[in-house]
Amino acid sequence: MRTMVLAETQKALAELCAGVSQISQQVEAVIIGDQLKAVTDTVWHIPAQENALLEDYTETIAALIKQEKPELVIVEPTKRYKLIAGRIAAMLGTSVITDVLALGEDLIAKRMVYGGAAIRTEKVASGCTIAMVGSGIWETKSVTEVAVREEKPVQFIEPVNRVTRIARDEKEKAAVDLPGAKIVVGVGRGIAEQKDLEMIKQLAYAVKGEIGCTRPIAEAEKWMPKETYLGVSGLMIAPEIYIAIGISGQIQHTVGINRSKIVISINKEKNAPIFKQSDYGIVGDLYKVVPALIKHFG
Amino acid sequence: MNIITCFKVVPEEQDIVIKTDGELSFDRAKPTISAYDLNAVEAGAQLREVCSGALIALSVGTGSIDGPKLKKNILSRGPESLAMVADDRLKDLDTHQTAKVLKAAIEKIGEYDLILCGEGSSDLYAQQVGTQLGQVLNIPTINSVSKITPSNGKIVVQRTLENEVETLEITLPALVAVTTDINLPRIATMNHILAAGKKPATVWTLEDVGAPELSSTIEVIDTRAPRQVERKQDIVEGDTDDAIREFISKISAVLAK
Repeated sequence: MRTMVLAETQKALAELCAGVSQISQQVEAVIIGDQLKAVTDTVWHIPAQENALLEDYTETIAALIKQEKPELVIVEPTKRYKLIAGRIAAMLGTSVITDVLALGEDLIAKRMVYGGAAIRTEKVASGCTIAMVGSGIWETKSVTEVAVREEKPVQFIEPVNRVTRIARDEKEKAAVDLPGAKIVVGVGRGIAEQKDLEMIKQLAYAVKGEIGCTRPIAEAEKWMPKETYLGVSGLMIAPEIYIAIGISGQIQHTVGINRSKIVISINKEKNAPIFKQSDYGIVGDLYKVVPALIKHFG
Repeated sequence: MNIITCFKVVPEEQDIVIKTDGELSFDRAKPTISAYDLNAVEAGAQLREVCSGALIALSVGTGSIDGPKLKKNILSRGPESLAMVADDRLKDLDTHQTAKVLKAAIEKIGEYDLILCGEGSSDLYAQQVGTQLGQVLNIPTINSVSKITPSNGKIVVQRTLENEVETLEITLPALVAVTTDINLPRIATMNHILAAGKKPATVWTLEDVGAPELSSTIEVIDTRAPRQVERKQDIVEGDTDDAIREFISKISAVLAK
């Protein structure tokens, strides 16, 4: 099987090329401009264009796929590439399989649907499979530097529609590395006020953890940065220990944390679904329990 | 500015039942508007307040989307009229098929300056219909838009990506897919709901819009609930000092590792 790989970052390009080589004999990176280094022995190189957005290369990539007919195109699931991949699929008369959780040699993919309530198993009916895959789905072999044996230039095709970029600002980086944290403390709607997060911070400090939250805390209340919410359309984490505080355990949230090794929860509702998904828990007022934990572990 | 805002009708998520064999039952799940599309409708309603022109809501799906409650729901949120392709042949559409039917319906509506879509549907969340639709309409298409400002016959948008925020100027007609934090969708008042009943709604079949009947590009093998991780479920009840002490002693052993 022949595969082309598209990624925005070097890390993703390296991991996806190494990962997909477990199901595909021939892996070729498609590299735009000079920002990314090649990690496969055959590379398709699209020369950088002045003032071009990544989106302006869509027609060029589509033409390359049409000409070379790889069975599989693996795409890093970034926002820009979600747009680009969708437009390419429209040109090819197919659909993209996004946010793939598993992909085998038979090109059967698994992805989450209904807010995490179900996993759908599906495959492309015919022609090229375009799959957007996060780097974690394959056991990563060590990523080694590969000497490029063949670099094939790709002729740039002028985009049909362009938009003009007026400004570009770096986003403030979230200060925490939640996916890399060993212990994560998660907060939900059980917290009454934003100022009570101070108490959660003290607990996180005491147990040497980082803080994440549910979607309502980030999006509706805006008490925490959007980058810190866990669950569907947010982060999926797998820490050693997850401590759920005032979180009822809606599936939209728990899909983001159910790969945690140990789940501990504090909730005043005895019937909160989170307890069924916890190793340890206490049915009680978090405003009594959390200060006691801070005192004990601090 | 004439605006068409697209929305998907999805089964009410909280009424989807997971059966013991892991299959899903939609028997009790009533059709409702996909949550993320409410942000697109609201973005359209807000633009409509500052620009002249029409705001039309558009959806495609099976005959079940053509219900009075649902029509009132969408029309109470700002659009002046509603168009639907409701046809039982449009069952379980993939993103490519959906885009093709939406395109046919948009061409039937005729003139437009801006097409709005949500970030993705709340049921399948492929985030692909907007991008496919923009391409098949062959107009400038941008996703992840968190602000839209009209500007001399064009629009200026703020686009929020993983590590950057960019400001783009887009000529019209164009398609924009908006993020969930672009706005807070309004809650319709009783007056809006009553007025919605009087607004025009057009319902078409596939033939009415001249859409081709397309075969699926995706073959769905199955859809079932993931297996739950087995947990100890060692739960202490109550928050007396003794109970909290018991809880701490249990988790100390774990946290000490």
